[in-house]
Amino acid sequence: MMHQKNFAAEASQGDPDAYLRLEGVSKTYGDFEAVRSLDLAIGKGELVALLGPSGCGKTTTLRMIAGLVPTSGGRITVGETDLTAVPPHGRDMGLVFQSYALFPHMTVARNVAFGLEMRSIPRGEIDRRVKEALAMVQLDKLAERRPRELSGGQQQRVALARALVVKPSILLLDEPLSNLDAKLRDEMRTQIRDIQQQVGITTVFVTHDQVEALSMCDRIVVMRNGRVEQIGTPVDVYERPATPFVASFVGRTIRLSGTANGDGAIDIGGDVIRSAAGLAPGPAEIMVRPHRIEVDWTGQAKTKDDVNRLSGVLCRITFVGDVIQYHVGIGDAEVIAEASTTGNQQLPAAGTPVTLSWRVEDTMAFGSGQ
Amino acid sequence: MEMHRTSLPMGILVTLLFLFLLAPVLLVFPISFSGDQILAFPPSSWSLRWYSALASNTVMISAFSTSFVLAAIVTALSLLIAVPAAYAIVRLKTAGSEFLFNLFTAPLLLPTIVLGLAILIVFASIGLLATFHGLVIAHLVVTLPYALRVLAVSLGAANMACEEAASSLGAKPLTVFRRVTLPMMTPGIVAATALCFLVSFDEVVITLFLTGPRLTTLPVELFNHVERRADPLVASVSVLLIIVTLAVVLIVDRSMGLTKTFVEKK
Amino acid sequence: MSVAATFASPSSKAPSTASLAVMLLLPIALVNAVGFIIPVLNLARMSFNEALPGGGIGEALTLANWQSLVSDGFYLGLVVNSIGVSLLITLITLVLSYPIALYLHRSSGRWRTFLTVLVISPLLTSAVVRTYGWIAILSDQGPVVQTIAALGFTPPRLMFNLTGVIVGLSEILMPYMILALLAGFGRLDPRVEEAARTLGATPFRTFARVILPLTLPGIALGCLLCFVLSISSFITPKLMGGGRVFLLATEIYDQAIVTLNWPLAATLSMLVLIIFGAALGAYSRVLRAID
Repeated sequence: MMHQKNFAAEASQGDPDAYLRLEGVSKTYGDFEAVRSLDLAIGKGELVALLGPSGCGKTTTLRMIAGLVPTSGGRITVGETDLTAVPPHGRDMGLVFQSYALFPHMTVARNVAFGLEMRSIPRGEIDRRVKEALAMVQLDKLAERRPRELSGGQQQRVALARALVVKPSILLLDEPLSNLDAKLRDEMRTQIRDIQQQVGITTVFVTHDQVEALSMCDRIVVMRNGRVEQIGTPVDVYERPATPFVASFVGRTIRLSGTANGDGAIDIGGDVIRSAAGLAPGPAEIMVRPHRIEVDWTGQAKTKDDVNRLSGVLCRITFVGDVIQYHVGIGDAEVIAEASTTGNQQLPAAGTPVTLSWRVEDTMAFGSGQ
Repeated sequence: MEMHRTSLPMGILVTLLFLFLLAPVLLVFPISFSGDQILAFPPSSWSLRWYSALASNTVMISAFSTSFVLAAIVTALSLLIAVPAAYAIVRLKTAGSEFLFNLFTAPLLLPTIVLGLAILIVFASIGLLATFHGLVIAHLVVTLPYALRVLAVSLGAANMACEEAASSLGAKPLTVFRRVTLPMMTPGIVAATALCFLVSFDEVVITLFLTGPRLTTLPVELFNHVERRADPLVASVSVLLIIVTLAVVLIVDRSMGLTKTFVEKK
Repeated sequence: MSVAATFASPSSKAPSTASLAVMLLLPIALVNAVGFIIPVLNLARMSFNEALPGGGIGEALTLANWQSLVSDGFYLGLVVNSIGVSLLITLITLVLSYPIALYLHRSSGRWRTFLTVLVISPLLTSAVVRTYGWIAILSDQGPVVQTIAALGFTPPRLMFNLTGVIVGLSEILMPYMILALLAGFGRLDPRVEEAARTLGATPFRTFARVILPLTLPGIALGCLLCFVLSISSFITPKLMGGGRVFLLATEIYDQAIVTLNWPLAATLSMLVLIIFGAALGAYSRVLRAID
């Protein structure tokens, strides 16, 4: 909770260069609070992800920025202009939808030209800029096709060109990659990031996919139940999650419950686990990334000061190609540790006593209040 | 090739039932070429006499033109009224829009004989009986529910994000409607046009209550004629009716085919 | 930012969604009120008005019309007759339509499209034209009577009596029944049939124990539709009954146009609506019993 407060404060006041600002923005539908008093400041040229599970309010927030959903409270400004009451057609924002929303009755070129026509730009300049935009997304050859004749990835790029050709002040991306297959998604991730940096446009990116958020964005806003859980760089959010929710939503974790004894240690079934977090005495939880855990069954692992150790019994081994997963029973709980495969490994049998170890700094500990 | 699941007796049964279903419509064509004075099948001789009789029957001809003009006007008005209504109900989704949709399509649930009588009584008291605009309103009562239903479905199927995309690209609400919403509704508009035209052009029961000696439509005149004398003239008029229906269906198929290429493939 | 600034000012006074909706819905609401709500309410009220000789209508409210329905044997007979005939027509239509619907359900591809068009095409043809077709088939100079006579039998009278009406209406309602059955056949997976057959069921038992129960919802829907359409149908009974067949719908027309007794016509109309409601109630009970 304390972490979260700090981040929010820093975001709304600490950044004098903020370009897009949300101040206390909220949205209620009857009794349901979709977004609760959201503060956010995004710098010029920054790519920021709104990350969270479905229903967390991230899409509603994006739609409020675009003006498609009226706010129930708060202010939205871009630069010096207050846009809170401005209808969507006056906001000058480029929007890319999950469904792409290309106009089915227009050719690719006409789709891209639409926004320019709305701005009463001379025909000749429209043609030139449409060509440029299509060249940027490598679709100049398909200008006269209809959207239905394009693949998902191509439609996605048309949508991007259509949004960018009008040189909007902000680019808004609503789950732009979720309708693509896995391989294409990786490609488009790089392409969107490249274009965004090339154009230098301030971008808000809504996604439920932590990999997208971590790999593409300058900063990540993790949301849950209409509230911000944490705002930070990808490394911050991954390595120093502010809440157990962030820890488990961003990246994979194993999770164990124990009791904090007040001097920085947590008791889990007799083993003492240390962490950097100063927890008050009481029930507590620790989380560790599976690939940061080492599994030892030789009994020869050395005891070190900066390493936590936990003993358990091997239940099962799963071979997943790149990695091997060790399912280890600890008390009543079962956790999974991961190691890269090396080729000719001697694997222990189920039932073998094992020791799990990881560095103290890799221990994420949370008190019951969180 | 799809026949393999069907046994022979089943095949014969289905063929006979299809014949039964289509017989009355199919029979009209040969009868219209009858050379007999009265209705008989098969006719004892063949001729075009009933077509020339139709050509010189001024009552039928004027009833046909009344029906045609009426159907055209009713169709145009149905679209003008139902497109905004469909937009309000599907897109604006104000409170009670579901109730309003049910209310506006409710006339379809009422038997036409009851609706015809109900309209007759009210129209008699406000002087709309046997008037052209009275017929227009009465036909709108039955065409609007069809139009609203078809247009609401087609608008519901159109991706609302396209309209949002247009507005975020700087299009004002009316421009969004004209340049994006309306074109996306094209298949529904074509279907609604055909449906309204056919429903109005074929409407008999309600129209029977509202027409008079000076104003009559083709189906009503046909009804009156059959009631008096079911001679082969009726067959030639029926062929005319069927041709108009067929023409409408073909035009729709053509333009629907067009819109399909429009939306799907080259 | 310039774009935002130029666009921002004119649209700040946009009409609210509610007032826009009212504007868009006003025309359809007007037609609905003038052509549907007011006439129907007026009709309901008129069933309580007194009918004066010569087509006049008394202002006072009375139950006389409704009482005459119960006390006058003619109207009681009319109602019983109409319901009975409609039920019979529904049953005949079901028997004639079921094989076609089942066949359509099992067919596929272009063949199915073609057959579906054949089923729908009569719907696009005026009921007057189709009734005329039946007059041509069933009249004394028609093929059926001629064939029977040629075989040396005394031909029965098929026209201008109840037989003609029943035959004509059954055919006219077939497309509705077929489409309703098809809509209800969704649950009928051909593999279920195959499963029954591999488990040793004879074709007849497969039909009785598997196909029929699975298609009951479609049957119920089709029967409701046909019953309702048949009890309110007017064109075919009028033209094929030859003035000898008395049903509710034809009586409403005669009272309204010939006798000019609007209150009685209104009362009979309300009665039709009440029968509609009862049919709908029976349908939902049947549907619940099936599930």
